[in-house]
Order: sequence, then C-alpha cells, then structure tokens
Amino acid sequence: MKGELVEEKVEIISKLTEQITEKFKRSGYEVNPKEISKRLELLMFEFKVPEREAIRTVNNYLMKELDVSREQLSMESPFIKIGEITRPNQWVSFKAKIVQLWDSTSPNVSQVGLVGDETGIIKFVTWAKSGKPEVAEGKSYIFRNLVTDSFGGRMQVNVNRNSEIEEIAEDVPLPPREIKVTGALIAIQQNSGLIQRCNECRRTVSKGICPVHGKTESYDDLRIKGVLDDGENFYEIILNEDNIKALTGIGLEEAKKIAKENLERGVVLQTLRNRLLGKYFTVNGTRGERYLIVNEIDFFRDELGEKIDELLTRLGAEQ
Amino acid sequence: MMMKREVAKRLFAFELNRSNHKISQNGEKTPIYVLTPTGEKCNRVFIVGVLLDKEEIRPDSNFWRMRVSDPTGVFVCTAGRYQPEALEVVLEIEPPEMVAIVGKVNVFEGESGTYISIRPEAVSIVESEARDYWVYETAQRTVERIERMETERDSEDIALAWQVYNPDLNEYRQKVREALIVIKEEFETFKVREEEKKEEVKEEKDADLELDELEFEEEEWDLSDILGE
Ligand SMILES: [Zn+2]
Repeated sequence: MKGELVEEKVEIISKLTEQITEKFKRSGYEVNPKEISKRLELLMFEFKVPEREAIRTVNNYLMKELDVSREQLSMESPFIKIGEITRPNQWVSFKAKIVQLWDSTSPNVSQVGLVGDETGIIKFVTWAKSGKPEVAEGKSYIFRNLVTDSFGGRMQVNVNRNSEIEEIAEDVPLPPREIKVTGALIAIQQNSGLIQRCNECRRTVSKGICPVHGKTESYDDLRIKGVLDDGENFYEIILNEDNIKALTGIGLEEAKKIAKENLERGVVLQTLRNRLLGKYFTVNGTRGERYLIVNEIDFFRDELGEKIDELLTRLGAEQ
Repeated sequence: MMMKREVAKRLFAFELNRSNHKISQNGEKTPIYVLTPTGEKCNRVFIVGVLLDKEEIRPDSNFWRMRVSDPTGVFVCTAGRYQPEALEVVLEIEPPEMVAIVGKVNVFEGESGTYISIRPEAVSIVESEARDYWVYETAQRTVERIERMETERDSEDIALAWQVYNPDLNEYRQKVREALIVIKEEFETFKVREEEKKEEVKEEKDADLELDELEFEEEEWDLSDILGE
C-alpha cells in the first residue's frame, strides 16, 4: 500500500519534471532535472502545495535563475483555428496544411507562404534564425507557439525559435474553394481588351512576337485581366469573351468592329474601361493559385434597403 | 519576399480628412501607411462620390486638383502626368459627375498643419448605384472598425489610434448614421417616383382602354349612311 503510494508520487514527479524540462529545452535552455524534481517533491509532498501552484513556482524559479522572461519562454499557447486570428502579438498553436510556398528573397526568411485549415488561410513566415525544419506544400502539421503579426494590413503568423513544427499524417481540409464575392473592379490591366494569341500555344502575342515561338501567326481574342476589391481582400480575375459580352454586349466581333472603325485596337480597352471600371460586381468563382477563376459574373444589383436598416440597428440609437 | 498588392480601404471623407499619422515600416520599398482615427492602416483607398470641381493647379502644369464629395465631406484628389490613365479621364470629365476613384493616400505638411489627399490610379464615371453600394459598404467597414476600437484596445494599430487621436466614437457613429440615411431617403424618393410613374402608366393605359372602346363603337356604326354612299 505504502509502496504503491511512493511509486505513484515518483511517477507524478518524473512526469512533471519531464514537462518542465521539455518546455525550457524548446526555448533553448538546459535545466537540471534533478533540481526540478527535488523542488517539486518538496513543494507538493512536504508542503502540500497544489500541483498547479508547484509547477508555477518551479517555473518562476527557473526563469529567474536563467534570467528569461515569460515571453521568451514558450508557455503552451492555446490551440485555435486560423479563422480566429484577428490580432497581432498573440501566441498561438494550430493544426494546418501548407497551401503554398513562395520564393523568399530575404536571407532572414527561410520559408514564406500560405498555411490553412477549414476556417481560413494565412501567410506564414519562418525566420532563418528560428532554425526550424522546412515544411512541404500539401503536407499537414501541428504548429505550436507561433506569434501572430500584422503586415500591410493583413494578419500573418511568424515561426520563431520558440515554435515547434510536427508533421502529421492527417490531411487538414482547406476552406471551400468556391466563393462568392461582391467588390469593385478597381483595375483593368493594360494587357486587356482586343489581344492577339499565338496560333501554336495560345500565349498572348505582342507586336507579332510570341514569348516562346518568336515571330508567329496569331488570332484575335478578347479578355480582361483585372482586380476586384471588397475593401478587405482583393482578387485577381480574368474575364473571357463570354463574360465580357454578357456584361457589355461587346463580343469578339463587336470588338473587332470597334477597332476597325477607329483604326486603333486600344479603343476597345478604352471602351471596356469606360463601361466596367469602378463598378461593383458579384462573382461566383473558384480560388486558384493566383487568380479567382470566374464561373459567373454580373453587375451588383441587390436591394440595399434591408441591409441599411440592419446596419442602422447595429449602430444603435443616437446619443 | 513577394510584394503584396495593397487592398483598397473604404473610408468616409470625414474620417480620412482627420487622418494625419504616417506609419512607415522598416526596410526599403515598404509602402507608407496612414493610420486613421478608427485604427485602419491604409495605403490605397477606393471612393465613389460626386466630382464637384476640377482645376489645374498652375496653368499648363497638367497637374489637377479635384474635389469629390461623399455624404460626410469632401475628398481632395490630385492627378498628374505620373498617373496617365487617370489623367486622361480627368481631362475629359466635366463636373458635376458621379465618379469612382482608386488611389494612394498622401499626407502633406502644409503651413497650416498636415493635410491629406488621394493620388488617383484610376478614375471612372459611374452611376448612382455604385455610389449607394459604396456608402453602404463603407458604413459597414466603419462600423466594424468602431466596434473593434472598443473591444480590441490592446491590438497594435488600435492602441496607437487611441493614443494619437483619442477619437469620440459617437461622432463617427453619427456620421455613418447620417450617410446611411441620405441614401435610404434617396431610395424612398426613388420608390415614390417609381410609384408615380406606375400611376402615370396606369392612367395612360386607362385612356388607351377608353379609346379602344370608342374605336370599337365606331366600327359598329354603318358609316355608309352618313357618307351618303
Ligand atoms: Zn507561341
């Protein structure tokens, strides 16, 4: 009976000692496990201090000894969903999949890209000095102790020295790729309008020269490359001839006619800008790597009356 | 690292004109942001409003100043030859006209303090539908920011906005309310006008109906009698 009790005590102490040692080790500090065990035993079994209090006391003692702050030491950060990240300077942990890796041109950054779970996608940056292993596109991981940050008005997470990355077999799902966005078309790029494509590869041809095939035979096409912006996000979109014709009545034949009448192809782009730029559209689309692929696009024309009333209610009564 | 495009933020003129705190991040080529009183960090904005007037700042300078009004105030925009696409439209446009403008915000140190202006990247003529949706959208974003100012006081930009501006949030709520009411009233007048139109159409139809009946009656008559055939 007494022996069992002793054994149980020994097990508790060794488990807690291991946890505390690990925590300091993660932050790059070596501590003496014997010392920790001795203090825990004293506090818990001699002085009957509750477990939580004993752990905290030992942690505080070690931090003081090593001269490290609570921030430097990675206290176990709460597990959250990526969609919940709205504030900078928070310590967080989450389970997520690497959506995309970008090229890092800064020597201070070892990896940069996008990471996501079913609630959202966020940019991540791994600092070179963090010394963390590289992650791979399409694989899922448990990320512990990352710090949230805000850069250029958008949230991101930073992998630092205190972070931990553990690959998992589970495939973390990403948010639905099909989305509906209402936003303003704030840019129509110069390479839009009545363009020419290479007969061989369909790439756009400029002054009769294909970037791959050089001087080449080409055919006319109509497209718009633009940016849809809703004030929170922007989406790069491409409209094809069908989309453009549905919105403006100008299809490829009409566009050719406009160019012919004005003896100038650029007039087509000018006409499309006049008709579409700065207006609001609703797009049903599929999120691609860079572009939002447009499945359906129309001018925004919902009734606003009810939405305005809702907003007025949210604002509350006049003060 | 990849340069990210900046989202075009939505702000009413009332708020933008009270923004004078610049934030520049470390490193070269990082954009300049302006912090607004409700804690928005903006570099690019999108506005829709009425172009009240345009003037060339000096004769033949090809540098134009425009004033664009929303329900809460007036935005000042300046376009020059470095924004050729915008300038082309500015030269052709005749105020007053409803316009949409996307551009970068600039803070200047003037003799009588700082002032803010927008440098348009694109200018276009739009209809009142775009203006209505812009007011709604801007109201929504502003409400969200006002709420965050109250609930997330220790978040970086918000803490700084409190420190720099110490804004009276009720004043901002009131501006949003006024803006929404302006377009709401417009809808109602529009509805009344639509109703009136329907009435007119109905009256016309009624008149047509009477005419039909007359014609019908006319056909019933044997005209040959009258004409003496
Ligand atoms: Zn080719």
